[in-house]
Amino acid sequence: MLPVVVVHGGAGIVPRERSEKSTSGVCSAARAAYAILQGGGSSMDAVVEAVIQLEKNPTFNAGCGSVLNAKGDVEMDALVMDGKTLSSGAVSAVRYIANPIQLARLVMEETSHACLTAEGANQFAQAMGVPEIPQESLITEYSRMRWIKNLAPGANPVESQMGKMGTVGAVAVDSEGNISCATSTGGMLNKMEGRVGDTSCIGSGGYADNNLGAVSTTGAGEAIMKVTLARLILFHMERGQSVEAASDLGLAYMKSRVGGLGGVVTVDPQGHWAARFSSLQMVWAAAQKDTLHYGLYTGEHFTQSIDDQH
Amino acid sequence: MAEGFGQGMECEDQERNSKMSAVVIVHGGAWAIPSKLAKDCIDGVKAAACAGLSVLKRGGSALDAVETAVRTMEDNTVFNAGHGATLNADGEVELDAIIMDGRMLDSGAVSCVKNIANPVSLARAVMEKTAHTMLTGRGATLFADSIGMCTVPTDILVTEYERKEWEKHKKCITGVMEDFNSQCANDSVGAVALDYAGNVACATSTGGIRNKMAGRVGDSSIVGCGGYADNLSGAVSCTGHGESILKVTLARLILSHMERGKSVADASQLSLQYMRDQVRGTGGAIVVAPSGQWAATFTTERMAWAAVENNVLWYGLEPNEKLKEQLPQ
Repeated sequence: MLPVVVVHGGAGIVPRERSEKSTSGVCSAARAAYAILQGGGSSMDAVVEAVIQLEKNPTFNAGCGSVLNAKGDVEMDALVMDGKTLSSGAVSAVRYIANPIQLARLVMEETSHACLTAEGANQFAQAMGVPEIPQESLITEYSRMRWIKNLAPGANPVESQMGKMGTVGAVAVDSEGNISCATSTGGMLNKMEGRVGDTSCIGSGGYADNNLGAVSTTGAGEAIMKVTLARLILFHMERGQSVEAASDLGLAYMKSRVGGLGGVVTVDPQGHWAARFSSLQMVWAAAQKDTLHYGLYTGEHFTQSIDDQH
Repeated sequence: MAEGFGQGMECEDQERNSKMSAVVIVHGGAWAIPSKLAKDCIDGVKAAACAGLSVLKRGGSALDAVETAVRTMEDNTVFNAGHGATLNADGEVELDAIIMDGRMLDSGAVSCVKNIANPVSLARAVMEKTAHTMLTGRGATLFADSIGMCTVPTDILVTEYERKEWEKHKKCITGVMEDFNSQCANDSVGAVALDYAGNVACATSTGGIRNKMAGRVGDSSIVGCGGYADNLSGAVSCTGHGESILKVTLARLILSHMERGKSVADASQLSLQYMRDQVRGTGGAIVVAPSGQWAATFTTERMAWAAVENNVLWYGLEPNEKLKEQLPQ
């Protein structure tokens, strides 16, 4: 059953013309992470690699391709967590860097803190020699178009947010049984400057514990925070629920209690995994036992050999 | 390990159901509080708890009560929040706060705000006046401006005592963990409350760890870590070593034990013990259940706490200390 990696590219409604790119994006991220695991790499290396690939891919709302805030700027949030030590690293409202997930990992490994925000996070990036890049290189035509559309009077960014959530994340268990999670996002379309969502908040955007498993979440950030979704799902697993049942229970509770939709990828220490969502779609992929699994709509589950590059 | 057991714990449930009581519990931080600060800390938490209760008596909600109690401590320079906050490595003030309403699980938080005297009220405004849950840094300050909340010059928030302590500690090269476990560190303030309508709420506010890196966000502003409130299970406000609290999502952990039938005191003890065993972190928590049961528990040397219910004021500082004062009707 080990190693295993599961990645998601966001829950919501993926426009038809973008669905193919989204699917191939998560599949190659899962493949890259799986190759690391098979080469004896740690689950932390694997989830960070998967998320870096998705951050670099302009199809997703993380790194390059991030949505723009109300002022037209990119502000990104990211979180990593190491299930062996329960150490985590996060950055929020960080600008001008290509891979926030790498910076989050540096916060975990190189500081005595767990989260750095805004200018402080950028100062730290500079101190670590992480190159600063022009904001333009993070902005796609698509994200600018959506920003402008939502500036119009009568526009409802919250509503159209459902169109493309696109937060990315990954969970993995390596051959030694170590578990990690990583989540990264550009946040919410036309958000206020300085808005921090669930992604960088431990227990909400993700959580990993070698004894329980790991979860990375996506969806309506404010709702996810209300129920601390990642931690909630792991509480259910602690009480004996399967990865699938625990994920569904957490998502159903979020829907009934606070009216929020979203999705999760979940693993347990034995290597059982699940990709579940209450939104219309969530693009996801998983790699285990040389097989690649992927899907987009509810109930969809395709499989192919990991070597098949189709 | 110390516990403060609420009077309610000895009450029959039936009695409680027939006459819903209200309670406010506050803490002023869990750390090795030096004896020279002890009296001011005790006086401060007692005043804050009483201020919270008087809000409830006037018909205010649990949310109003925790905001008022925390504001009282933010205004009191003996505590590390608002006025009296610690300085970061650059000698600047950066404040974090959260507030959560147990009715609908709404929360509001700010992190890394510099020129705000009462971050808990800004956190409440984030909850009530935006579509978001958390604002950080400059964005949070811009929001404060946009709703007409007064900003203050940083100097007003910094005490002479803190400036001296900061100068002193700037010279010693110690990691935050070592620093925290010494006499040097201050901590956060927080409150939880149950109102007469049966609603719970929590609030936590802090200046963070002295000499922290610019931009450091601790547990206080993170939902499920620095605090959590749910009418179905209870409310918690945490304090202590922030990075450890984050690792175990302490507030949410305590409530999960209560959801599984543990008492407020057992749930707090189990979770703080887990934090000490798993990640070697110490701290404290105040908890209230929808039944009115409450506890103030800590694994640090001291925690200043106070609780009021039924015109009785309870308070303590040392492990296992629980003192009682009758309040005037």
